[in-house]
Amino acid sequence: MTLLRRYATLIGFAAILLFFAISLPDTFLTSQNLINISQQVSMLAVVAFAMTVVMAMGDFDLSVGSMASLSGVVAATLFVAGWSVPAGIAAALAVGLLGGLFNGLLVAGLGILPFVATLGTLTMFSGIAFTISDGRTIFGRDIPEGFGTFARDALELGSLRIPSLTLVALAVLAVVWFVLEHTSYGRRLYAIGGNMEAARLAGVNVRRLRASAFAITGLGAAGAGLMVASRVASANPTQGAGLMLDAIAAVFLGMTMSEEAEPRVLATLVGVLILAVLDNGLTQLAVDSYVREILVGGIILAAVASARIGLGRG
Amino acid sequence: MALLSIRELHKSYGGAPVLSGVSLDLRAGEVHALMGENGAGKSTLIRILAGVTVADRVEARLDGASLGLGTPAEADRAGFRFVHQELNIVPALSVAENIFLGHPMPRRFGAAVDWKRLNARAAEALARFGVRHIDPRAKAGRLGVGDRMLIRLASMLVGGASPARLFVLDEPTAALTHAESDRLFRVIDELARGGAAILYVSHRIDEVMALASRVTVLRDGKVALSAPTAETSRAALIRAMTGREIAEGHPPRLATPRPSVVCRLEDLSSGRLSGLRFDLRAGEVLGVVGLDNAGQSDLLRLLLGEGAPAGGRAEVAGRSLPRSPAEAWRRGIAYVPRERRKEGLMSGRTITANTVLPHLSRLSRHGLARPRREAAEARRVAERLRLRFQHLSQPVRTLSGGNQQKVVLGRATLATPRLLLLEEPTRGVDVGARQDIYAALRGLAAEGCAIVLASTDLPEVLGLADRILILRDGRQAAIVGAAGLDPSSLLALIYGDEEPVPAS
Ligand SMILES: Nc1ncnc2c1ncn2[C@@H]1O[C@H](COP(=O)(O)OP(=O)(O)OP(=O)(O)O)[C@@H](O)[C@H]1O
Ligand SMILES: [Mg+2]
Repeated sequence: MTLLRRYATLIGFAAILLFFAISLPDTFLTSQNLINISQQVSMLAVVAFAMTVVMAMGDFDLSVGSMASLSGVVAATLFVAGWSVPAGIAAALAVGLLGGLFNGLLVAGLGILPFVATLGTLTMFSGIAFTISDGRTIFGRDIPEGFGTFARDALELGSLRIPSLTLVALAVLAVVWFVLEHTSYGRRLYAIGGNMEAARLAGVNVRRLRASAFAITGLGAAGAGLMVASRVASANPTQGAGLMLDAIAAVFLGMTMSEEAEPRVLATLVGVLILAVLDNGLTQLAVDSYVREILVGGIILAAVASARIGLGRG
Repeated sequence: MALLSIRELHKSYGGAPVLSGVSLDLRAGEVHALMGENGAGKSTLIRILAGVTVADRVEARLDGASLGLGTPAEADRAGFRFVHQELNIVPALSVAENIFLGHPMPRRFGAAVDWKRLNARAAEALARFGVRHIDPRAKAGRLGVGDRMLIRLASMLVGGASPARLFVLDEPTAALTHAESDRLFRVIDELARGGAAILYVSHRIDEVMALASRVTVLRDGKVALSAPTAETSRAALIRAMTGREIAEGHPPRLATPRPSVVCRLEDLSSGRLSGLRFDLRAGEVLGVVGLDNAGQSDLLRLLLGEGAPAGGRAEVAGRSLPRSPAEAWRRGIAYVPRERRKEGLMSGRTITANTVLPHLSRLSRHGLARPRREAAEARRVAERLRLRFQHLSQPVRTLSGGNQQKVVLGRATLATPRLLLLEEPTRGVDVGARQDIYAALRGLAAEGCAIVLASTDLPEVLGLADRILILRDGRQAAIVGAAGLDPSSLLALIYGDEEPVPAS
């Protein structure tokens, strides 16, 4: 029973892979397709990894999608104003960090529920993105050459070409994994998630940690926004919007793999891959996108439900 | 004939046997005590009776007819009522709603809840325990442990699918005051005389001797002793529980307090506290007593850096009061909170994670965690406190209640603190472990740690403390030397019937 509970998600993932491998024998399990998947999912992956940081404390950040849009718009606007690529990127990342810190102060300083606070900033960030961009898409010659080509670059490893966006996602994964699993900081975040009051009374500086974790998530969201903008070599105030729900879904899928339902970033990776593989496979099978959404939602519910079966009896 | 008879009860967790072949007979009209060390399997047995946990194997008979112990609904139908050790109340619901949780609520026209009758019946159930200070309409989440226990006790008395025939109470007195406990014993007596069977778990031998007519002791998953209480003795019970002889009492002081003052309060007031004035020296143990909620928690929390002083002066470890618990721990002030589950433990996290949390800075290098050192430290305190566990990475939720308490204590004493703040440190801890803890505290004091001990267990305070601070309504009523006091004279001081002799 416990085994089923723990591995149901992994088994499900394997079943999905098997299904697509059989129904798409020539196109699915090719190195080219797998590399494509890794690139397609890299932005969602970065947001989901960053989301894992706040969810380790039992919090949420609903504003990541609009923060991603905002950071792309900020960078593109600065490019238009003649800023260099590194300066524009740095400024966009700084916006992410500050926006995340703002979330953190609302949650940790004023004690607003994360759901409410980040719902508010979701709307705010999105509004700011619209204001800055005038609601238009910034594209074409306004976007510097170097910024747009980054997403098309790749690392050549023999015959393999690992896309640079995939590499960025892997680097973010490594950093988040290191911070959450191997530092005192990460241990304290999980302690807050375990019981905030107990952690506080045991000497954890809950306020500062919560604020800083939201800042990290904001930074990750801004990074993902830049990746999106680079990939399409343009920026508009809605292009990150779809990331938030998928990122939370990926973390939840990952949490089903842990006995105590703790968000772990490597488990989040599995969640991200499940979503990515489904998306890729169903597209290749030419399944209608609405049907796809029904399926994805159903799979998330099935995973969470199977993780709950038998919980609390033993 | 026994009302309920259990035979061949087996249960193991992940290959480790907890109960192996336990038998138990409960008779109508009889109070039956169940004893055993922390982790002996008492709560597990009770959860199996309640259908919350499923046994690997069990034969149960109710009035001689075979009974399946499968689900809580079956237990309810059989007329079993439970007060579990760790079951919590629903904070968002009112007291009355909590009392009727899982029972049919009084209704009007068969549908709408009859709030008036609900509240009245809840108040009635509380009144049987002499409780009038809890408003049935109040939010339950705002109540302290003692009051929560009273709610659960009241809940045991209200309806159910079928008439109640067996009441099972798992360490109900751990969170109650003396007066509340006495009233509980009276209610238990009434229930037994009304023909119900009672299964009663406690670590307090005096209580068991006074209340129960039979006692069963569990050790290593088996019944170590089952006899009428009249035919057994305190020493025999201890031997059955621990398998060894235990010298009860309090270990002697190892050294006299040193001259250096760790904590000095001069006419300090803060929140509802006022008139606090004492010096606490290194190596000294200060007991803090008072009626229920006389400010004991507030005083300890103040020293932990919560709440700002409103007047007077305070000096802790050579500086002003810490401004946050984080600063307090950094400065060597350690704390064992009153309610281990709510304020102490991250129940889903591992033994190691819970134990080393406040010490992470010291155990890491440049912020980099060192899991092996963490585990080594956790193992060291676990062994010193004789924690009963399977492995250090098991969630503390899966430890027995008393063992969870030991984790909280182990965390506070992992490094020798300068000032150790304790609230009810031995709540739910068995006789043997209590002696281990007393010895450990004595050892810390000998190393120069100053200890503030707030406890409702008066013999414990008298045995450990050098001086005792008596709080009345947040005010420092007196501070007396512990030598020469006995529990009844201390109780008289707490109630304020007697003028104290000032401490030398
Ligand atoms: N869910 C679980 N998973 C693994 N082990 C468990 C679980 N629940 C209980 N145990 C183990 O079973 C043993 C018996 O625990 P139980 O809670 O019944 O003890 P107890 O006699 O009630 O002790 P206490 O006096 O401390 O309350 C303990 O060693 C505990 O660690
Ligand atoms: Mg127990």
